Amino acid sequence: MYFGQLLVLGLLDGAVLSLVATGFTLVLGVGKIANFAHGAFVAVGMYLGYEAYVAWHISPYLTLLPALVFFALIGWAVAEVFEQRGRKVGEVGELLVGLALLLLINGLLELFFTDNPKTLSGVNIGGVGVFGITIQLTQIVAGIFAFVLAGGLHVFIHTSRWGRALRATAEDPTVAGLYGVRVPVAQRAAVTLSIVVAGLAGVMIAPFTVLTPDIGTTFLISAFAVVVLGGIGNTQGAVLAGLFVGVVDSLAAGYLSSYWTTLTPLIIILGYLLIRPGRVTA
Amino acid sequence: MNKRAAEFLSSYQGMIALLALLVVLWFAPSALSAAGLSTLVLALFYAIGGVSFNFLYGSLGIFSLAQPVFIAVGGYTSIFLFNRFGVSPWLSLLIAPVIAAILALPVALVATRIGGGAVLTALVTLIIAEAVTPILIAITPLGGAIGLYAKSPPVITFGDMQFASGLTYVRILAVINVLFIAFWMWWKRSRFGLFTAAIKDSPEAAEAAGIANGRLRLSVFLIAAMLAAPAGVIFAQYNLLTSPDIFLGGTALFQIITIALVGGAARPWGSLVGALLIVYVAQEVSNLSGSNPAAEPVTFAGVFVIMVLIVPRGLSGTWARVVAQRRPDQGGALSAIGGGTARSGSARADSGTVSAADGTVSAAAGTVSAGSETTSVASDQQTDAQVVPGQTRPT
Repeated sequence: MYFGQLLVLGLLDGAVLSLVATGFTLVLGVGKIANFAHGAFVAVGMYLGYEAYVAWHISPYLTLLPALVFFALIGWAVAEVFEQRGRKVGEVGELLVGLALLLLINGLLELFFTDNPKTLSGVNIGGVGVFGITIQLTQIVAGIFAFVLAGGLHVFIHTSRWGRALRATAEDPTVAGLYGVRVPVAQRAAVTLSIVVAGLAGVMIAPFTVLTPDIGTTFLISAFAVVVLGGIGNTQGAVLAGLFVGVVDSLAAGYLSSYWTTLTPLIIILGYLLIRPGRVTA
Repeated sequence: MNKRAAEFLSSYQGMIALLALLVVLWFAPSALSAAGLSTLVLALFYAIGGVSFNFLYGSLGIFSLAQPVFIAVGGYTSIFLFNRFGVSPWLSLLIAPVIAAILALPVALVATRIGGGAVLTALVTLIIAEAVTPILIAITPLGGAIGLYAKSPPVITFGDMQFASGLTYVRILAVINVLFIAFWMWWKRSRFGLFTAAIKDSPEAAEAAGIANGRLRLSVFLIAAMLAAPAGVIFAQYNLLTSPDIFLGGTALFQIITIALVGGAARPWGSLVGALLIVYVAQEVSNLSGSNPAAEPVTFAGVFVIMVLIVPRGLSGTWARVVAQRRPDQGGALSAIGGGTARSGSARADSGTVSAADGTVSAAAGTVSAGSETTSVASDQQTDAQVVPGQTRPT
């Protein structure tokens, strides 16, 4: 049951991707900002989980709560910078802020943790046999956590008053403002939420992922492919497309070669452009 | 006589400054140490990449992160052809741009068709750039992950472009830099420069004035790719190696963009200034930190952050603004052509700028059609979205 193994692993990876992409689609849709550093915050989360375990022997699961606070503060500050630069320099200003953050995070991670790949081997809570292979429990927990959080985010956005405000801002900031939505707050909330979600995803996957400083770019690219596939601003689409991309990645790596996973996002976007040429944004 | 000399000087001051720069870059580096020369080679190499990025970004606002790919094309073309067929790298300087242009065609079709502004173009070109490394690794004749080392011929001749001293590479790179800056200066004054300025200001108005928007965007993208390739040829010969890592590895991908943006796209010399500044600073920081490998990426990131916060239009953009403020009579179309307006679409609101640029363009194209009145408003119409009614107020 080689196929079954790949399917399960793909779904677990895909769930994490769904979570990261849900944040990205939110910030693209509501904030109208393409945060280039979105994936880099996943990397920050990973190294946070790593450092907490190596330095203080705190399990990544206990790190989640302080990480939540940490990323919320960072996220709000980043949103503030995006806002301010966007107002002064326009869309390109936001693009530059994202790129600057990406470079800064990559550089600092390399400075503190060097370029060498790191693994967090200490956190081992056992495994479960599926289709004849053992899947680490940490990976299953991360997958379920990500899926639940992504689903929760979707429900939050579609049922709560806050979510409605976010959706209204995504559709038309001006009119949403006229209806009484505090647009700047909503946009900052979207950026903050996306960064928190990316960071938490990073902490969760730290136990079973090889950590490198520039792994964030990989997440950014996959998340973007997922967002394009699921439709910008569409959280449900992001969840489904994330699972799909995870499975495709896993199958491509299993049956073809591991470098195909790098090509999957490109192929997805090219395919999308072939089917629906023209604008990605609706 | 004196007056005529002054006129001559003012109209050709750019070219004269370039010649002076070339003379300085040709003779002054002979006083440098080997380490100084290698820093200068790096800076001049980045500067060419920066020109290719800025040419594209400055003329049309296309933010392409795929420029390093076309630099790598240069490196691979040169060493592959030399090893296999003994083609001189000097000849590769001409072959590589052609190959780069051919490979740039599909990239350009995707990047210019995707719409949605600079951000989506940047994301898509980043994905393309990231996908090139696995493709290169998969192609065995190109040496896989290790890359290709240039073969050493029994007797090294001038045609092999394998010089012992960095000085020769500095001179070759200096000539290419000056040639490209001169090309861009000529481009800006040519009709193509006016076309691109008009497109950047308002695609609709430019289209109405009879400018083939799509074809010009494509051409500019291809030219930018061609400008990038020679840099790769020289840098590969300098290292006697071409590999995915030196051209496309982790931080290498973003260094050219950093240099280009810090230099600014408003003036052709921007990226050269940016490159000399950043590479020098990075070298100093690296020396101070005891050659910590992280020093370079951190310096690049730090300079980038400072740039974003203080001079978002880059050094040359700030320079252009200062000049424009000192000479307010030359505003309008001229400043738009100069690329001083980084914010695309600003001209749409300010109809004066559009019609001025439009007028220039239609005069240059020979078609006199006042299309600006009808088109400038169309794009700003917004469909009234359905907004959730009720009290959606987060507290």
